This record gives sequence, structure tokens and C-alpha cells, in this order.
Amino acid sequence: MHRGELLAVVGENGAGKSSLMNVLYGLYQPDAGVLSLDGQPVRFKSPRDAIARGIGMVHQHFMLVPTLSVAENVVLGREPTRNGLLDLERAVQEVSATCARFGFQLEPRARVDTLSVGSQQKVEIVKALHRGAQVLILDEPTAVLTPQESDELARVMRGLVAQGHTVVLISHKLKEVLGVADRIAVMRRGRCVAEVRAADTTAEQLAALMVGDGQRAPAATSTPAVSQAPGEPLLDVRGLQATGDNGRPALRGVDLEVRAGEIVGIAGVDGNGQRELAEVLTGLRPLTSGSGALLGGPLSGLTPAQARTRGVGHIPEDRLHRAVVKALSVEENVALGRHTRPPFAKGPWIDFKGRRERTRELTVAYDVRPPDPEVALRALSGGNQQKVVVARELDARPRLLVVVQPTRGLDVGAVAQVHAKLREARDQGTGVLLVSLDLEEVLALSDRVYVFFEGRVTGHFLRHEFDERELGRRMLGTTEPGHA
Amino acid sequence: MPERVRQMLPSVLSVLLALGVCWALIALTMEPGTATDAYLQMLWGGIGNWPAYLDGAAATVITRPLGESAMKAAILTLTGLSVAVAFKVGLFNIGAQGQMLLGALAAAVVGAQVSLPGVLHVPAALLGAALAGAAWAGIAGLLRIYRGVHEVISTIMLNWVALSLVDNWLVVGPLRGAAEGGQSITGTAEIQATAVLPRLLGEGSRLNLGFPLALVAALAVWVWLTRTRSGFETRAVGLGAEAARAAGIPVARRMGMAMALAGAMAGLAGAVLVLGTEGRYPGTLGAPYGFDGIAIALIGNNHPLGATVSALFFGVLRAGGTRMQLLGVHKSFPELIQGLALLFVAGRMVWLALLRRRNVAPAASAEVPRA
Repeated sequence: MHRGELLAVVGENGAGKSSLMNVLYGLYQPDAGVLSLDGQPVRFKSPRDAIARGIGMVHQHFMLVPTLSVAENVVLGREPTRNGLLDLERAVQEVSATCARFGFQLEPRARVDTLSVGSQQKVEIVKALHRGAQVLILDEPTAVLTPQESDELARVMRGLVAQGHTVVLISHKLKEVLGVADRIAVMRRGRCVAEVRAADTTAEQLAALMVGDGQRAPAATSTPAVSQAPGEPLLDVRGLQATGDNGRPALRGVDLEVRAGEIVGIAGVDGNGQRELAEVLTGLRPLTSGSGALLGGPLSGLTPAQARTRGVGHIPEDRLHRAVVKALSVEENVALGRHTRPPFAKGPWIDFKGRRERTRELTVAYDVRPPDPEVALRALSGGNQQKVVVARELDARPRLLVVVQPTRGLDVGAVAQVHAKLREARDQGTGVLLVSLDLEEVLALSDRVYVFFEGRVTGHFLRHEFDERELGRRMLGTTEPGHA
Repeated sequence: MPERVRQMLPSVLSVLLALGVCWALIALTMEPGTATDAYLQMLWGGIGNWPAYLDGAAATVITRPLGESAMKAAILTLTGLSVAVAFKVGLFNIGAQGQMLLGALAAAVVGAQVSLPGVLHVPAALLGAALAGAAWAGIAGLLRIYRGVHEVISTIMLNWVALSLVDNWLVVGPLRGAAEGGQSITGTAEIQATAVLPRLLGEGSRLNLGFPLALVAALAVWVWLTRTRSGFETRAVGLGAEAARAAGIPVARRMGMAMALAGAMAGLAGAVLVLGTEGRYPGTLGAPYGFDGIAIALIGNNHPLGATVSALFFGVLRAGGTRMQLLGVHKSFPELIQGLALLFVAGRMVWLALLRRRNVAPAASAEVPRA
């Protein structure tokens, strides 16, 4: 890679993108081969060496201390001191200066856990720059961002490149990569199979390269949904209110309905109550006010166990935290939540044979790699972990499926597969509530869309009424038409 | 290398290293020959002096040491299980000592004050001990579940409460045994003959029913954890409480039950001590087997069967350690070995890293999460 260039690395889940970057950043040691920096071979024993040579990395999962301020996070590890004590004033000044130099708008004294995801990512970037990073590696940076934030990030990256920094962007989103990168490297199964100039290629060509020569690129995900007559109401809530983790109201009176055999999308910028809605519906968060009927029972006082017995499936946003136990095996994770029923249990005992057989079937049907029921889930790549979650939830044949960010960080092939499975469930009569920050995904899949803004429904669109610009305005709370 | 072997290696290597360090310590302060002889004495003291037996000595040269080892191993197994079970649900039970004191007292009271036919008396005393230990651990469990009090803090404090309550008040006060034949005694009244754990190798050996009981308990805990629905739920809570909650598992109930079971195991340890060897709650319970349970569980990798193996090993060492004194080596060396082994096991990640570097790369790389 060259100085002052934006190189994008694309590839399917498990193609080796992140592993390669972890080698560059000194987290992993290369088994063979040479790493050269400015023409000299280098060997990073740890991230410390990499940082010293001007390499910075922004991980897919942020590495910030949530309870510390922006300034404290940025200077962490090289804190300015006075008389051996932390000099917070100088830290704030230094960080302000860095932010100003690179054009970031961040409040250095703000606690990181009060910031939006997009801002937290900026803190990560500032942290790397503050340590003098010349080469900046961003691992799936837009996976968690809203379209607006992604555009903002693209501007930031181009700005850094213009100032002579080198940016390495790892991504699945081909369109985005094409818009921002100078050069694109395609990885497949641990090898770099192609290197193209962004200006000379198309998304279709890239997809074909990623998937391999023999296979066709997966179809784009904008196949229109099959409109069917909506079935019985599964979920009907009126005036729903709930409190967020920060103690402030997250849902401020939501009216919403989901019927059997339809996909209902929730569009909105991150942090406008979508997450809390999903948690209320799955029994993970109590509602504070409002009434609702969920699959023939009241919504208030719902426990996760009740939600499951009534037939609510849940593909949560935070996979590692909430959907799976990564120290358990794949088959144990497939059983999780259904472990009291056949074929996973026989009376009080675990049915090892039934569990093994069902897991084998699912790993084949959902193309989980490796297809080994006994391997610990943590040994699977993120995309394959998500396949396990989707397989488990759909295999339970839920009547209502609450899905949050189901394709976050997945490659094109996996995204298409997850989307197809969700449509299939819908066609079989499941009501799907889809929460996604990816507006394209919401529009591609949903039969109806509710727009959320600050805990309220600010818009409701049927499929034939979908209008990206109008939806975008509702998402930002500017409901007056013509203000765009 | 199979995963199971890889999991055990750090413990095995730690114990070997501890043995080596202690041998070197004796060799340096005395003589290398003495160190080797002391280890041999420890071995014969633990598993029986087989050479002497084969030379025609009486069978007691085997059965007596085995009895001592088994007695200690049984108690260590139960306290080790206590710590290991709590670990499986994600709780660190430092309170096995206090739970054991309560269990021992309950066994002594049921054994002495209640009259039951022989077949029922021992089970009743064991049950009383298990319930007392479970209740004592349950306090810490409830505090954790409903008030968010960290179990490390509460169990440590409950140890002291138990000590004051049992040793410093009940045993010297209300429950003190009546004087026998004008001789005042310390501790509670002697348990009735029907409550004594039967000896299995005759009167010459203290090997009693407590030993098979501890092994059965370990096996039962293992089966429960690995084969049953509720055991699976318990492990899931320990490895990922939030995911378990989202899956509809009653997290609080699993924590409470695991903690109660942990207390029951420690309580049984106290019962085995009282019903098997002491015959009453003595003035003070002596050895801190409850605290040893932490080392036993950790060296056993918090696995019920691992803890059992580690308890057997250290039971043998402890019983044999007294024989070291014949050579002028202090009998606390087995405890030193145990402490060092625990210290080395704590560096588990270091062991795994060292093992990884030795061409175990394929197995190791499978564990590294990819994006």
C-alpha cells in the first residue's frame, strides 16, 4: 500500500481479512512471510510495536472504557502527568487539539457511554491519530453506523487521506467501498485473489471475485416481497412506554401492530427506541406504561421464558452477549432456550443423540462452517455464529420473530441467505418484526415500515408507499415535507 | 492433542513443578538423599508401605495409611466440589469453611440428640448437615440475587459469623456435652453408635463410609452438570448469564440452587468429619478443609471429577506428610506443595501459551476467534 491512499480489503466471512489486519497490528504473529514498512522488514511482537511505528487500528468491537471520558480514553496508556499524577486538564487540551486538527467534533469531557455509536467510533479514530498513527486500519467500521454516520465517516477517511495518512478499510459493503476507496484488494480463503482500482470495477465484479470463479454472485437483496393477505394479529400495542438503560424514557407511547405472514420493518437512526422495543417484546425489559397483546397474552409482566413459550423468536443485536454462549459448543448453543423440549431433552435429561442429529441437520441446511456440532462456538467466525443463531430461532418455528440487525457484519453471501430465510419464514405464516439501522435492508424486506424517532412512531409506510427521502426525513424528525 | 488432555495439562504440570520445587527446597536445606527419602516416606505414608507388606508385614501397614488418606480425601473432595459447583454457575464460594462448620454441628446434634434406627440415623445426620450447609450458603446466594452483594465478600464474612456462632458460642455454651464420669469434656456430646459412619477395612483403618459417599457425590454432581437440563442451564448461566436470561433460563433460581448445592457439599464434609472420625463436634474443628477446597477445585480445573482426582492426590500427600517427620522434615510440606501447585495453576494462561508454542498450533488456532 502507498502513503496517502485508501485501500479497501473485501472478502467473505472467514476469508482472513481480520486475521491479516491483526498481523499488521501485532496481535497475531505471522507463521511465515515478511512484513515491510517503508521498505524495511519489520516484526511486531505486540500492538505496542505497531503503534510505535505509526499503525493504528479501530476494531469492529470498540475497545473503549465506557465509564471514562473521551479525553481519558484517548490518552489511556500514555497519560500526561504532573508530579506523577494524572493531569486531566492537559489531557483535555491535547485531545481537543487533536480533534480540531483533524476536524472531529467531540466533547472531550463527555463520558463515552453517553455517546452514540458513531461518536464512539470517532473516539477510536482520534485515539489512534493521537498516538501518531500514519496508517489507520478500520475493521468493518460502518457495520454499526447509520447512513448519515457512514457518509460522515467516508468524509473523515477522505480527509485523513488528503492529509497524507494511509487508511485501510475492511468491509463487506461493496457499494460503500467503491464510493470511498482508491484501491480494492479482494481476499478469499486466506489469499489475496485480486487487486483492482476502485474506478475500474463494479460491485458485481467484486462480488464474483469474493465468492469465487465457479459461483455466481448472490443476487442483490432488493427482490420485492410477495405481498400476501395479512393474517391474524400477533402483536398489538397501544401507548407503549419503557425506560432505557440510562434511566431516561426510550419509548414514549408507541402504537404498533404485527400480523401473521408479514415482515414489519422498524426504520430509524440508532438510539431512537428500536432496541428497547425489541427487548420489551422478548420479555427482557419491563414496560412502564401502555397496553399490549402478544400472541394471546398480555405484554406487561412478560418474562423471556413466557415469550418463548408463546412463540416469540429473537435474533438479538448483540450476538455474543445475548444470543450465544461462546464457550459452549455449537450443539449446546443450538439447544439454548429450547433445551427443555424434544429433540433436545428427554424428561429431565439431555437428549445427546437428538441434539446432535438436529444440529447436524441445521449446520448443513444453513451452511455453517465448520459443520461440527461439537466445536466450541467461539471457534466459528462471526458470520457462522450468526448462522447458528438464525438456524436456532427459525428452527423453533416462531409465530412472531423479533429480529434486530440480523446481517450486521455479514458478507454478501451470508446476508442473502439470512434474508432468504426471513422471507421463507414470513411466507410460512410467521410475523417478522425487523429492526435494522440499514435502511436498504429494511426497505428490501419489509411489507410495512414504521419509522421511529425519539421513542415515537413518526411515520408508517406500506410497501408501495416506500420513499427513501421521505423516510429519511421522518427518521430525523423533520416531518415537514419540502425541508430536505 | 485432544482438548480434554490440553485442559488437564496445566494442572498436572503445576503439581509436578510444585513437587519439584519442594524437593529442591528440602535438598538444599538438608541433603538430596534426605529429600528423596522424605518423598518415599510420604508415599508409603499415603498409599501404604507396599514393600514392607510384600516382605511379610501385617496388612495394617497398607490399610492404616490408606484409611488416613481416604478420610482426608473424602473431606477435600466434598469441599472441593462445593467450590467447583459454585464456580459452574459463575460464583466464587469462599465460604466452604463456614458452611462446613454448620454442617458439622448439625451432624453432631442429629447424631447425639436424635434417636433413630441404625439404617436411618446416618442418612438423617447427613441430611441435616447438607441442609445446614445449604442454608448457610443460601444466605450468600440470596444476598447476591436480591441485593447484588458480591458472594466473595458475603461468604468470607459468613465464615467468621459461623466461627463465632458455632465454635465460640454454641459448642462451648448451649450445646456443650455433659461431663462424663466427672470429667468435663470440650465439644458437644458424643454421637450415638447408630450415627457413626461404619468403617470399611476393620478397626485398624479409619477408612469409613464417608469415602465412597464423597466419590458418589462427585459422580452425581458430574452427571447432573453434564447430562441434565438443569445442569446445562447452570453451566449456561455461569458462562453467559445474559444470553441465558434471553433464552428464558431462570438465572436467579439457578444461581440460588447451585449455591445451596455448594453449601450442601461443604456441610457433608463437616458431617464426614464428625460422624466418621471425631465422634462429636470437638472444641474446634481444626484443619481448614473448607479453604483447602478452593485449592482443590482450582487445581482440579473446577471440574467435579478433576476436583476429586486432585482431592485424592492431596489426601494421600497430607496423610503421608506426617511420615516425613521421621526424617526431620516438617509435616507442613504437603500443604506447601498444595499452595505452590495452586499458585502455578493460577498461571493457567501462561501454561496454555507455553503449550501452544510447542507445535500444538493447529489445536490452538482453532480457539482464536476470527472476525
